[in-house]
Amino acid sequence: MLATDSYASLLDQGKQAGADFAEIYVERWRRRHLRTVDARVAEATSGIQLGAGVRLFFGQDVIYGYTNDLSEAALSELVASLARLKGSPEGRPDASGAGGIDLRRLDAGPDIHAPGVPFESHDKLWRLERLRELDAGARIGPEVRQVEAQLMEWEQDVWIANSEGTFAEDRRVRTRLVGHVIASDGTSTQTGHVGPGKSMGLELLDQFDPADVGKRAAQMAMNNLRATPVPAGTMPVVMGSGFGGVIFHEALGHLLETTSVARNASALTDMIGEQVASPAVTYVDEGLSKHGWGSSRIDDEGAPTESTTLIRNGVLESYMVDRWGSLVTGYRATGSGRRQDYTYAPTSRMRNTIVERGDTPREKLFEGIDYGLYASSLGGGQVKPGSGEYNFAVTEGYLIRNGEIAEPVRGAMLLGKGPDSIKKIVAVSDDLSNEPGMCGSLSGSLPVEIGQPHLLVSELVVGGEA
Amino acid sequence: MNTAEARTWLLEQAAGRGVDLEVLGTSERKLTVESRDGKPSDVSMSESGGVGIRVVKDGRAGYAWSEELSEEALSWALDEAIANAELQEEGSTAVLPVGQAMGRHDLLDEGLSASLEAKKSAVIDFENVVSAQPKLQALQTARYSETQAEVEISSTQGTSGAYRSGYGMLMSAVVLREGDSVKQGYGLDVQQEFHKLDPGRTALDHVAKISRHLGARPLSTGRRRAIFEPEVTTTLLGLLTIGLSGKSLAEGKSLLAGKLGQKIASELITLTDDPLVDGGLANRPFDAEGTASQKLTIIDKGVFRSFMHNSDTAARTGQANTAHASRSYRSTLSVAPSNLMLEPGSGVTLTDGTIIVTDVMGVHAGANPITGDVSVQAMGLEVNGDELQSVDNFAISFNLLNLLEHVEQVGDDFEWKPGFSGIIGAPSIAVSDLSFGGS
Repeated sequence: MLATDSYASLLDQGKQAGADFAEIYVERWRRRHLRTVDARVAEATSGIQLGAGVRLFFGQDVIYGYTNDLSEAALSELVASLARLKGSPEGRPDASGAGGIDLRRLDAGPDIHAPGVPFESHDKLWRLERLRELDAGARIGPEVRQVEAQLMEWEQDVWIANSEGTFAEDRRVRTRLVGHVIASDGTSTQTGHVGPGKSMGLELLDQFDPADVGKRAAQMAMNNLRATPVPAGTMPVVMGSGFGGVIFHEALGHLLETTSVARNASALTDMIGEQVASPAVTYVDEGLSKHGWGSSRIDDEGAPTESTTLIRNGVLESYMVDRWGSLVTGYRATGSGRRQDYTYAPTSRMRNTIVERGDTPREKLFEGIDYGLYASSLGGGQVKPGSGEYNFAVTEGYLIRNGEIAEPVRGAMLLGKGPDSIKKIVAVSDDLSNEPGMCGSLSGSLPVEIGQPHLLVSELVVGGEA
Repeated sequence: MNTAEARTWLLEQAAGRGVDLEVLGTSERKLTVESRDGKPSDVSMSESGGVGIRVVKDGRAGYAWSEELSEEALSWALDEAIANAELQEEGSTAVLPVGQAMGRHDLLDEGLSASLEAKKSAVIDFENVVSAQPKLQALQTARYSETQAEVEISSTQGTSGAYRSGYGMLMSAVVLREGDSVKQGYGLDVQQEFHKLDPGRTALDHVAKISRHLGARPLSTGRRRAIFEPEVTTTLLGLLTIGLSGKSLAEGKSLLAGKLGQKIASELITLTDDPLVDGGLANRPFDAEGTASQKLTIIDKGVFRSFMHNSDTAARTGQANTAHASRSYRSTLSVAPSNLMLEPGSGVTLTDGTIIVTDVMGVHAGANPITGDVSVQAMGLEVNGDELQSVDNFAISFNLLNLLEHVEQVGDDFEWKPGFSGIIGAPSIAVSDLSFGGS
């Protein structure tokens, strides 16, 4: 968007103002969103998002500003304003004595996430037809009262330059299809929700047949209609694969971001090398997985992403570290600096976090459980990293009786204290699947993928009907 | 182009394209100052904005938006909005409302005009008091932030108007420890005028609110009487707003469909929305379509009197427009309250065994606004004579409408709280029987 000279001169201006490090992040998005309710268009919108964020480090203090005005004059004024905010006298000589910044283009390698079917390949009517297929697929019974279908398309171009001479650019293309079904039997109303998403183009709709997405959402709603309220109490829980990994995301993942660790606000601060989980658990934050919903070639600080093993056989091996986190803690940066968009400074965040498969056949997890819960499908959750207290919602669940999956139950909320719960994971199965989600934290709402095999937690608090 | 030039350009294009057009422009200025170790550390500032457009062509409505104000970008947005409109079914009856000149309003005035030095000084005082608390394990953040926004609306149907509003806020997020007990939380104080912020008092309140939970013991599973503190009540009302939305009703997703005129809550419950309330943080002289604001009674002594509507949802449901159109330039037309208020009552009584629910977590995942079923993590205080024992590691489960029907007392401790659904004010409420899932 900007000329290379402009980046260099703005960065230089930041350094001249006394900053130890300067960074410019420029992005332009095109977004489209189409939503139908009962096969009629309820919402159709398109937008261009454009802006730049400037970040200056003065020691460990971070000054951040952003604007939509990408003229050189406006950006130069932004840098000057940020320096004034810090109280740094403009024109102070660069502390390092180095003059000028020589930007080198980062080779981010081949674009393994490039869309196979670009958005331009099809018109809006084609998209509407795909959503109508989802709608038709969801009509599996007279109880299905309403079907909502959504298609979201994001094209994001980013350019990142910093005073260490990095110049990096990336294009991120993401597509998500969502089916949401309301079913009612006259006395009770329940919902079901399925939403595949990947870093790819419209080929997502080939990989996830819209009719099948609709059918699965409807099945979940119908299942919840048959379900009875879950009895409250503390019991063994078998967590489903895929989004079941939200237990790790909330109970462990957020506690391993340097955003919390560096402030001594994580229950897992200073625990590298210690046994923090059962030896059955290996947990990886995977930035490289092809077309992963949380994948990108570079992070939002212009560093190449990587595969970071966080926990190997239960032992804590690494945190997720961004530039600021590395500066404060001394841990190696792991390409984990992420932000929703230019309106946020980056912080350390998860990408695609996955529990590796174990060696227990799935059926074996249920053996020996006289009474417990099978949480086959999970919704979102929340954590307080400092105390480790977390929760997440079960969107499809069954009681386990005498080692067998029994009647469906609804309304379960699972909760606990993270490090404590993770130690209670006693077995990990040999299957594995991944699902996309949106994760909200300090640097905004971000696409993340969550994955795990089935796993058995010896004891969790199940909120429900007492 | 700047926002005003972009608006003029778009309105000029409308006639040539054969569409009715509305432009909503927003410009926003933000400032955040954090303090650490007694001095300002992280600071951020921004100026940003964009335009959102709605076109209506042959009874069909379409939307688009842009933060890039070049002719090329605006032209793309206009093309997209028209193409989005053309996706609507033939025979649709969307109309861009005929409006009027609503004038320019400054709701903020000099509210945030204090110097940067005064703001830095306030946040340093705030941090110093938080940091001095003996049980502090970690200070995640102590910050001052402010937002000033100007919203301007114009249309080919004669609507025009603008207003400027804003607020300043102190926020702390801390981790406290006492022995093995660790509790984390945050506090917010929001004021329309900087000088109304009280850093020292606010810091003490924030820490005290979290500190009372140290030493919590797990709660056992069972049914008990419960009191929801005002902040928790506002969270529940935030969930209810989804059912109160005319958009939810028009799309068949409201849990209150078919209940107008019926008793849906205890007689102690009266709920209003007032966009013109004295000193209201979410005041607006007109809504996002330019319809003049007015106070609305939603629930009157337990009887459901009105949904909240914009012009579109009112037309689709055959009900009256209540001037509750809501839209950011990036979104499509929706419905939202301004200052939603549950009227205070005569007080709640503390009886032995009652759990005072002080905090709920996981509401976005554990509450289903379509069915009203809620199952969320909570923290609280158990009443035992004159003592309050902190309890945690439990969930509460209920149906929202069922809960409102069974409110037996309403408190006199009314508080305004900023939340995800606007500004909501409420007192405590008590229910005789609630389901608690714990150890």
